[in-house]
Amino acid sequence: MGYYAASQLDGPEVSIDGNAGWALGENLMNGKIALSKNAGASVGASMRGGEMFVGGTAGARAGISMKGGTLLIAGDSGFLTGFMMQKGRIIVCGSVGEAAGDSMYEGTIYVGGDVGSLGADAKYEEPTEDELIELWAELERKGIAGRPKFRKIVSQKKLYHYDTLERLERTLI
Amino acid sequence: MVYGSNQIWAPWTVDDIHSKADLGRYRIRGMSTHQKVTHFDDLTFLSTGLTRFPLEGYKEQCNTRVELGGLNAENPLVIETPIYITGMSWGALSANAKIALGKAASMVGTASCTGDGGMLPAEREVSDKLIYQVLPSRYGADPNHMATAQAIEIVVGQGAKPGTGGLLMGVKVLDEVAESRDLPPGIDQRSPARHPDWLGPDDLAIKIEQLREATDWKVPIHVKLGACRVADDVKLVAKAGADAIVIDSMVAGTGASAEILLDHSGIPTVPAIVLAREALREIGLYRKVSLIASGGIRNGADVAKALALGADAVAIGIAALIALNCNRDIPEADFEKEIGLPAGSCNRCHTGRCPVGIATQDPELVKRLDPDEGAERVANFLNSMTMELALLTRSLGKGDVKSLEPEDLAALTIEASAMARVPLVGTDKVFGM
Repeated sequence: MGYYAASQLDGPEVSIDGNAGWALGENLMNGKIALSKNAGASVGASMRGGEMFVGGTAGARAGISMKGGTLLIAGDSGFLTGFMMQKGRIIVCGSVGEAAGDSMYEGTIYVGGDVGSLGADAKYEEPTEDELIELWAELERKGIAGRPKFRKIVSQKKLYHYDTLERLERTLI
Repeated sequence: MVYGSNQIWAPWTVDDIHSKADLGRYRIRGMSTHQKVTHFDDLTFLSTGLTRFPLEGYKEQCNTRVELGGLNAENPLVIETPIYITGMSWGALSANAKIALGKAASMVGTASCTGDGGMLPAEREVSDKLIYQVLPSRYGADPNHMATAQAIEIVVGQGAKPGTGGLLMGVKVLDEVAESRDLPPGIDQRSPARHPDWLGPDDLAIKIEQLREATDWKVPIHVKLGACRVADDVKLVAKAGADAIVIDSMVAGTGASAEILLDHSGIPTVPAIVLAREALREIGLYRKVSLIASGGIRNGADVAKALALGADAVAIGIAALIALNCNRDIPEADFEKEIGLPAGSCNRCHTGRCPVGIATQDPELVKRLDPDEGAERVANFLNSMTMELALLTRSLGKGDVKSLEPEDLAALTIEASAMARVPLVGTDKVFGM
């Protein structure tokens, strides 16, 4: 499939046998998208709900500006995974590239392999046992072998506030 | 001593440094640039005399209806006046303000536009013609909403802050607004500068095609640019397949921007229109791809001059808000006490404490704007501007605003002559040509 396969959808279940280009499932509102092989850049860009599964690897900016739902990648994903994500879950069973979770507001990124580097305002958090059990169950349901010890990336929330009011303005509010 | 005070270290420069020394960050404000730039006031119309016959200024018919984006769309956007209301978000503005603007646009047969926060259902209900923005942030983006729009506008940049995304301070990111944007309540929102799913002009062509498919080739696809490298950007956007290009200049408004961007980036409206016109002409798409100008449109003369320079329509933002009561000393408001500035010079939209209920989410302040009364004021203003536009057009001997052309204009300054590419008054010289 080329660019924007199964994008702007609300509800349907889509199964693609093969590879997909950029922005698979962009702005998914609800429903399920399953890709058997590799996805290009920006898979699940700005998705707001539903479930997306990539059977192979994903390119750069997987789950960028994500606003809900679950993006599960069986292999690796590239640079800026989860850039500015706002809500939802990204589960990468393999490794992620540089700047993972850069400027994320909320949401969670789980990484089974290596992390190239953390992005601005992202941090590691220890996943709970319950979270790991749930993640492993999800992998099993998708037929993915192994029980990786996932690392969890969340927002540091240091960029939430800029003290945006000047001295005079602060006297008014 | 040449001047009465220091020109480099002026009082406002000293104050600026004091403020930044207090804050430790860039300053933010609303409204538009404080730079003095060449604008429409630097141009004048050469109305009729003996060489051309006027139409009866107050009586004879003058067509103001325009059609936008007819190149590829099955249903172009047809508006009864070449003035529509630009995208301003629910979040930056109150729901009452958005409803009033949509209603006003419907009352005069023109369009309004959503903004960086998705579509407010109540705005949709009152808007006969609604332009749906697709922004880098995709806040509230919903294909179901997009399917109801009369045009789509892909926002690449904004004139008040080109190269950056929107700002919405935490005081405005309250429960409903936060929920619609999928953001944690109370945070200072910085919208992305780049789209999540495409990067360069070749990708834009594919994005346009995607949106055409999603809307069944029915409605026009506009692309909005902050006016910077206008000639190249316009050619790239036109080549990517846009039906209309919106050029938003450095004097355009905003609810919040870093001051440094407001005052030090982009180019003014007059040269932006001319550069866009010439770029489209060069690739054979002038008057095929529609050209819409925004930034500092205040009255019918500004509209007429924009059209004469080559725009097919204009979009207004601040002017519509002023008609709605922005900066008006209404009885319920106490500007000095509530916002720290007198009515008439407030630019503190970003604080969320708008005393007239427009740029706020505060439940008490919002009540100060009645959407029905507001809609009537904005509709009156749109009608007034349209009448002024028609009056000027007739005075030039023309019965259709589409007939306005650069030959109708002369420049009052050398700079305006160079930027507008029209002769300086009293000469036959176009500077810079």
